[in-house]
Amino acid sequence: MILRVGALVALALAFVAPAAAACAQPRTSLSYLEGQVMCPTCHTTLDQSDSAAALRIEAYIQKRIDQCATEGQIKSELVANFGAGILAAPPRRGFDLLAWWLPIGGLAAGALLLGLGVWRWSRMRAPDEGPGPVDDDAERQLDELLARLD
Amino acid sequence: MRTLKLTGQVVALAAVAGLLGLLIWRLTHQSKPPKIGGPAPAFSLKRIDTSGTLGLASLRGKPVVLNFWASWCVPCKGEAAMLEQASHQYRKQGVVFLGVDFHDLAGDARTFLAHHGVTYPTVQDGSGAVADRYGVSAVPETYFIDRQGRLVGEHIMGTVVHAKDAFRRGVEAALGS
Repeated sequence: MILRVGALVALALAFVAPAAAACAQPRTSLSYLEGQVMCPTCHTTLDQSDSAAALRIEAYIQKRIDQCATEGQIKSELVANFGAGILAAPPRRGFDLLAWWLPIGGLAAGALLLGLGVWRWSRMRAPDEGPGPVDDDAERQLDELLARLD
Repeated sequence: MRTLKLTGQVVALAAVAGLLGLLIWRLTHQSKPPKIGGPAPAFSLKRIDTSGTLGLASLRGKPVVLNFWASWCVPCKGEAAMLEQASHQYRKQGVVFLGVDFHDLAGDARTFLAHHGVTYPTVQDGSGAVADRYGVSAVPETYFIDRQGRLVGEHIMGTVVHAKDAFRRGVEAALGS
C-alpha cells in the first residue's frame, strides 16, 4: 500500500514539477493585467469591457502568460502594437512622469493654501472684549445687594 | 499678507484658465469625419501584409479605396470577399485598394488576411490615430480618394455589402468618371 501511494505521488510530481518549473520567474496573471490594460475601442480597462477588441487582447495576454512572458514583456508588446495609450497608467519616466507628480503637487499646494487660509483666519479674529458694560438698573441693584451684605 | 493673497488669486486664476483651455482644446480636437471634396488626411503606417511602411502620398495620382477594418469586427469578415473581388475588378483601371487595420493585434490581422485571401496592401493603425483623423467611430468604414488626393463619393459607414451602389459610385468618383 505504501509503495502504491509513493508511486502515485512520484507520478503526480513527475507531471506537476515540470509545469511549475517551466517559467523562470513567477507568472503574472490575466486578472491583474486586465486592470492595467485599456480596451482601445471602449476606453475602459479590460476588466470593465466585454467588447470584441477587449476579448481578443485578453486572449493574447493569456497566451503570452502561458508562454511565460513577464508583465513587462506583455506590456511592451501591447504598447508596440497599440501605442502607449493602451496602458491604464502612463509610464513613470520622461514627460509622462508629470502625470504622476502633478496630482501630488496639486494636493500639496491645496493643503498649503488651506493651511495658510486657516492660519490667516485665526489671526484676523477680533480679540475677546470681555463682558459688556453694566446698565444703570443692574448697577443700582448690585449696590443695594452689596450694602445689605455690609 | 497682501502679496500672499495676490499670489493665491493669480494661481487660482491660472488653474481655472488652464482647465478652460484644456476643455476648449478637447472640444475643438474631437474626431470629425473629414469633408468630402477636401484633401484626404495624409498618413504613413507600417504594413501588415509585408515589411516596410506605406504612405498615402505615395499613391497620389491613383484612385484609392480606403477601407478601415479590424479582425475582431464581424461585419468586416462579411465584406472582405467583396473588397478583394472588387480590387481585382478595378485593378486594370489603376484603382488601389488599401486596408487600414484599426485597434487590432498584428498577429490577428495577418490571420484574418490569410483566412479571407486578402491580397491588396494593408497597414496597421494600432493606436487608432489615423482612424481618428478620418473620424472613424466604428469599423468597417470606407472612403474613396481621387487622383488628386481628395475625398470623393460617399463615406460608407458600415459594410460595403449593404451599400453596393454607394460603393460603385464611390469607385467611379475616384476614377473621375
